[in-house]
Amino acid sequence: MTNLVQHDETTATSRSDAAALLQVRRLVVEYGVGAKLARAVDGVDLAIRRGEIIGLAGESGCGKTTIANAVMQILRPPARIAGGRILFEGEDLLGKSTEELRRFRWRNVSMVLQSAMNALNPVMRVGDQFVDAMRAHQRIDRRRTVARTGELLELVGIDRRRARAYPHELSGGMRQRVIIALALALDPQLIIMDEPTTALDVVVQREILQQIQDLQQELGFAVLFITHDLSLLLEFADRIAIMYAGEIVETGPAERLGVNPQHPYTQGLLNSFPPLSGPLTRLTGIPGSPPDLRNPPSGCRFNPRCPHCLPDEPILYLRQTTERPLLRVVESGHEVACHLVAGAPE
Amino acid sequence: MSQLDPIALDLPPAAAARRGRGRVRVPGWFALLLRNPKSCTGLAMVAFVVLIALIAPLISVEHPNDFNILATRQAPSWHHLFGTTDQGSDIFSQVVVGARRSLLLGAAAGALATGLAAILGITAAYAGGIVDEVVNFLTNVFLTIPPIPLLIVVAGYLESRGLWTMVLVLALVLWAFEARILRAQALSLKNRDFVQAARAAGESTRRIVFGELMPNMISRIAAAFVLVFYIALLTDAGLEFLGLGDTSTTSWGVTLYWAQTNSTVLQGEWWPFFFPGAALAFTVLGLVLLLAGIDEVSNPRLRTERTRGRLLRRLAAALVGGRALIRREEAA
Amino acid sequence: MTRTAPLEVRSLTKRFPIGNAFHRAHVHAVDDVSFDLPSGRITALVGESGSGKSTVARMLARLYEPSAGAVLFEGSDVSGVRRRKHVLHYRSQVQMIFQDPFGSLNPVKTVRHHVERPLRIHRVVPRAQIEERVHELLRTVGLVPPEDVAAKYPHELSGGQRQRVAIARALAVEPKVVLADEPISMLDVSIRIGILNLMLKLKEERGIAFLYVTHDLAGARYVADDILVMYAGQIVECGPIEQVLSDPLHPYTRLLLAAVPDPARKLHAQRIESRKGHASVAVDPSAGCRFVARCPLAIDICSRVTPRLVEERPPQAARCHVTAPAPERAAVPAH
Repeated sequence: MTNLVQHDETTATSRSDAAALLQVRRLVVEYGVGAKLARAVDGVDLAIRRGEIIGLAGESGCGKTTIANAVMQILRPPARIAGGRILFEGEDLLGKSTEELRRFRWRNVSMVLQSAMNALNPVMRVGDQFVDAMRAHQRIDRRRTVARTGELLELVGIDRRRARAYPHELSGGMRQRVIIALALALDPQLIIMDEPTTALDVVVQREILQQIQDLQQELGFAVLFITHDLSLLLEFADRIAIMYAGEIVETGPAERLGVNPQHPYTQGLLNSFPPLSGPLTRLTGIPGSPPDLRNPPSGCRFNPRCPHCLPDEPILYLRQTTERPLLRVVESGHEVACHLVAGAPE
Repeated sequence: MSQLDPIALDLPPAAAARRGRGRVRVPGWFALLLRNPKSCTGLAMVAFVVLIALIAPLISVEHPNDFNILATRQAPSWHHLFGTTDQGSDIFSQVVVGARRSLLLGAAAGALATGLAAILGITAAYAGGIVDEVVNFLTNVFLTIPPIPLLIVVAGYLESRGLWTMVLVLALVLWAFEARILRAQALSLKNRDFVQAARAAGESTRRIVFGELMPNMISRIAAAFVLVFYIALLTDAGLEFLGLGDTSTTSWGVTLYWAQTNSTVLQGEWWPFFFPGAALAFTVLGLVLLLAGIDEVSNPRLRTERTRGRLLRRLAAALVGGRALIRREEAA
Repeated sequence: MTRTAPLEVRSLTKRFPIGNAFHRAHVHAVDDVSFDLPSGRITALVGESGSGKSTVARMLARLYEPSAGAVLFEGSDVSGVRRRKHVLHYRSQVQMIFQDPFGSLNPVKTVRHHVERPLRIHRVVPRAQIEERVHELLRTVGLVPPEDVAAKYPHELSGGQRQRVAIARALAVEPKVVLADEPISMLDVSIRIGILNLMLKLKEERGIAFLYVTHDLAGARYVADDILVMYAGQIVECGPIEQVLSDPLHPYTRLLLAAVPDPARKLHAQRIESRKGHASVAVDPSAGCRFVARCPLAIDICSRVTPRLVEERPPQAARCHVTAPAPERAAVPAH
């Protein structure tokens, strides 16, 4: 493994997090054993404040879904948490008992997945699934659950009579709304959404995102929005974190990232989205492919693909290939992990 | 019966070229079978039986069915490892030579039934239309025929009850079941893009069935073969036990038949029953394990996670009642 | 026209029967679609799931038979042709690239096999030169060193590499037309541009006519010269892509444009208001515009009379009573 320079506790993430709802500190998630050991998440720090929409962007294999599963504590073997802490409202989730976790799930944090059909039971009516979910997590009588189900469906723009329908009778967009409503059932403080609109048509996608925004403003929950579509996050999120090969390489407010991306990977990603208006130029994307996490490049993991990593500058090159860059602050709220960026280590 | 879901089969990722580091280049899928404990055990068991069958002439007496009045009803001893029958025949020789017949029967029936099922089922799936209708009709007809009664009737009527007759009848009875399963899998493969791409490139139907579809169904076809193999074994032994086979041949079922008709158990002689029965059970168990291993290797969803010591920990936790053990394991 | 447009589509229609003997209905997956695919140009076929765009591509690849209409290849109709020799000739000129990079390659065959087969079937080059041609093709699509790549199996390659193999396979026969059905939607974002650039290079160097089927408007704008917008089986707008995207006529095109994420504006800056509905597939549709349930501009005639494609701003045409009304004289269909 690369040598990790001693990471001071007083780093960016423990800044005044009085409003921090969820704090992930130096999380490490591993798969496999021995020669096949891979770190899907390698020392990630992430903070989510109340009521904010934070986007987590990255391509396949970068570890973003693993983080979501880790926060929900639903990692399955052979994946395991090998280090770090996950603090929800100050309490470490990793020390909780199964019973406590069961109460925590859905009531404090809930999840919306990419495919509704993975979350919905195809042989149960939609309304019954709400009842199921609610009664699994709290004591509540049937009449109240039915009433609440109706409320939730209307909240997401579905006629409450559709509670009698089976999932396959609803369209893809409606099913996705149903699982959003399910996620809201117990009024959680944080909803993790993992590619919730990827499988949907672009018009439905926008309708759903508008819906989520409206709900979020009304109910005040925070959203961790995981997706590979950075262009979506630039419009939709308050803050964005960019992940590459198990590490967070840049975080910052959405506007700043779109206008002033610092990390070469972020720049490359932005350079991969053709514009819908304005002049058309040849884009280049990013050459190469993400590394094998069993044997990642030493130093900065992006160095094989980075246009700024060249042997012509030996001192810099040496750093890039041996030393892992740390997140440094470049401007308020904007941090980058890159040797080219001289920021304050805080 | 196989748990295989015909739609779920995907070749396991490491199935193809593995640059073998050792001197022996083992095909990828075979290596996978060896790694899976179930199929490895099953393979070892079957290999053992094959070995015994191969060296049978060396370790058995000249004519296993010979009478030997001097040596009747002897319990297992160093001279007669499995004892003797009431006529004095050496049971060890009977079992060992009988293995040859069983293996040959099973393999032949398996090959014939599977071959028939594969060709008919896959072609019907790909070609569709009238070909599909005809094959479906045939399959349904054969499926409704109850196998054991049919075999009894056929055995009763046929002049020769030799090995090949049995093989033929078993194959005819068992192909339909597999044909339906293979057809279902081929149907799901047919719409995969690579088949459509082959069509778009101009490949002929024959090349698509044999070159594109079948190679992707190897694991299911292998499973079909193993399935028919052990059903053939059991059915054949069962028929012979009932006396419907050729009682002059050397085989496990016939040994069991003679043991039964001569009421050996009533006399307290367990060995004429036990050894051929155990041989049969051992072989079938090996095949079943092999089948289960093939299932697991082909369908990753059936693979259970084998973390070291997990079973032991759970057992310990259950015995001791230690919730702490379970909690720690779940947190991992 | 045949010199410049190897493939011409006329009133292509595809209906799929659904239901059983008692209650039979038909899904109009593709309804009366007409367009040309000129050489050396990329035509984007844009629409959402259920719009029929993939069905059109598959009919052009002769994987489905049309229910009605004609596909003219170099002037003659190929839809009725059955003889193997003629079908093979067509397949050697019109090739297809599929959406799923893993699904379109046979998992148990090497890259060499995939690229070789078309060369062998259509006898593009003599036997002795096959190996070299395979390497050349792999180099063209950017897979180097070709000797190493040719020996690999699909699972040993990344998604982008697999898609390049699929492109090499399509190029093997030196086709005049390539139908690309959502070739990049299943690839990682950073490698999509590479594939799009490859398509542009092939268009420029070899004069191939591309049909680029997609739901991604931004990607379509990047590669394509012309655009066809489909909704519920019909073409609702068509024309040069810059013209259509900068000034769309059809309300559905406008809706699509407003819905696509554009980082240049914030989400709340452009909310779309449309009556709830989805791009449903048309089952035994009655007369009238199929978009009427979701259209903000709908007027009375829209539910009664099916609009025709009218060249409101030649060569841009739209199918809408409001924005492209049919003139009193007979309307000229686009292209």
